Amino acid sequence: MSLEKKDEMDHKGWMKRKDLTPVEATFLTALVWMDKRLRIVDYLELMENLYYKVNMQMPKSHTEQYDLDNKFWYWYPLYALGSFSTLAYVVAAVSGALLGFYYAPAQAGDPSTAYNSITFIMTDLQFGFMLRSIHRWSAQVMVAAVFLHMLRVYFTGAYKEPRELNWLLGIVLISLTMVFGYTGYLLPWDQLAFWAGQIGVEMSLSIPLAGEWIAQLLFGGFTLSQATLQRMYILHVFLLPFVVTTLIAIHIGIVWVQGIAEPH
Amino acid sequence: MSETDTNTDGSEEARTDGGGPGIVAPDDETPTWRERKERTTGLSRLTYEYFERARREDQDLRTESDYVERDVLAFPTWPHETVRNLSIVAFFTGMIFFLAATMPPHIGAPANPSSTPAIILPDWYLYWSFGLLKLGPLNPDLAILGGQKLTADRTYGVLANVVVVGVIAIVPFLNKGSARRPVEQPFWSAVGVGGVVFALTISLLAVKNLMPMNVHLLFDLTFLLPIVATTITYAILKTMREGYMYDLNRRYYRLRPPK
Repeated sequence: MSLEKKDEMDHKGWMKRKDLTPVEATFLTALVWMDKRLRIVDYLELMENLYYKVNMQMPKSHTEQYDLDNKFWYWYPLYALGSFSTLAYVVAAVSGALLGFYYAPAQAGDPSTAYNSITFIMTDLQFGFMLRSIHRWSAQVMVAAVFLHMLRVYFTGAYKEPRELNWLLGIVLISLTMVFGYTGYLLPWDQLAFWAGQIGVEMSLSIPLAGEWIAQLLFGGFTLSQATLQRMYILHVFLLPFVVTTLIAIHIGIVWVQGIAEPH
Repeated sequence: MSETDTNTDGSEEARTDGGGPGIVAPDDETPTWRERKERTTGLSRLTYEYFERARREDQDLRTESDYVERDVLAFPTWPHETVRNLSIVAFFTGMIFFLAATMPPHIGAPANPSSTPAIILPDWYLYWSFGLLKLGPLNPDLAILGGQKLTADRTYGVLANVVVVGVIAIVPFLNKGSARRPVEQPFWSAVGVGGVVFALTISLLAVKNLMPMNVHLLFDLTFLLPIVATTITYAILKTMREGYMYDLNRRYYRLRPPK
């Protein structure tokens, strides 16, 4: 008999006694190792719960229960518009990241650097023309899908009672989508971009009281310059992606919790 | 018991670590967590009571319901909706690439502050907003101010944008009730159609220098067409509603008779 105090939680001895297969032994060793460090046990109940919920039999939807499927099957494609805009967003994000490797607004001085880097992407870069095309089209498609998604939600009354907050969140998202589009539109710094920017400055200047402050903040001055381009660039590639991605996650999370509202 | 214990302990022994573990084994006097919650006052008490009520309500709903788990009038997101979406979405992703390959964008002349182009336009999805900036003729000039306008035309346009977005935002708080389909709510559907038509006409107003028609006529049509569309939609849906609701109600109430 050993003098050493016996460890009540002698996991190694316990594993030896159990006569495990190599797979089980490896699994348990890894689990014990992780648990000692991360206290997985505390979350085990949570995970079990999730596991059973995932495998639970799904309830009949309203449509199935009352056999209404033949009544509004034609709505179904419209129900995919939300997914579709998310997907277009992902495509835009990926192609945008790739474009970002090559596009650069100048830090200071002449904004024509931006125009030149677009020209480079479109004429010299392998696959660059297609890349820009994909980025632009996915952005266009996303905006269109988001608009149509909003119409679908409106006409099927899906914004009603438990879902008002998600409707508000959706309005924030559609606005941010358009801001995304606007800032992106300005980045090539061609004639269209410049004069669209001019309109933007004038719009923000015409806001009572805060107008000049907003113009300074968003456009870096009352006339367009390198500062404007730089700010639009940071908005487009740094600020908006974080904000919009987070909001989309919340938006979809709420949909997940509440279920898809059917017309009935 | 435990109180007296700690008292005597404190007086007899000199303790170096500033007291015991501070954890006392529960005895009969120790309140349970439920009792503690029930004894709270104010907001936390209210919160506790509400959660208890909500839990009971859920439980009642569950016992009444013939559903397997929950009583939500909705598709489950997984798997019903997700699976359906994945297939449709795969097709449309292909469409994005097809569009990108067949209709690539081109780039215009570089920015030149000294030459204003004849046509300045934002991307198409901002036309509506751009159109709202051209509502100057609707900006009332007040007799009190001697024909002056209260706000500049430009400010008025920006304000119109805020109003439009604000109106859309409060829709769920105006339109209550359980109606979901256009035929069940002719008024709100008609308003929706009017809104869509207005979005189109105001976009056309934004590109008025490209429109081959009289500008004043265009301006009038911008506001008349939505009203016409609203009226027509309302009439149609009202008419459809009769027969439609009869059929729907029959099959609905046959399966779930009203209580």
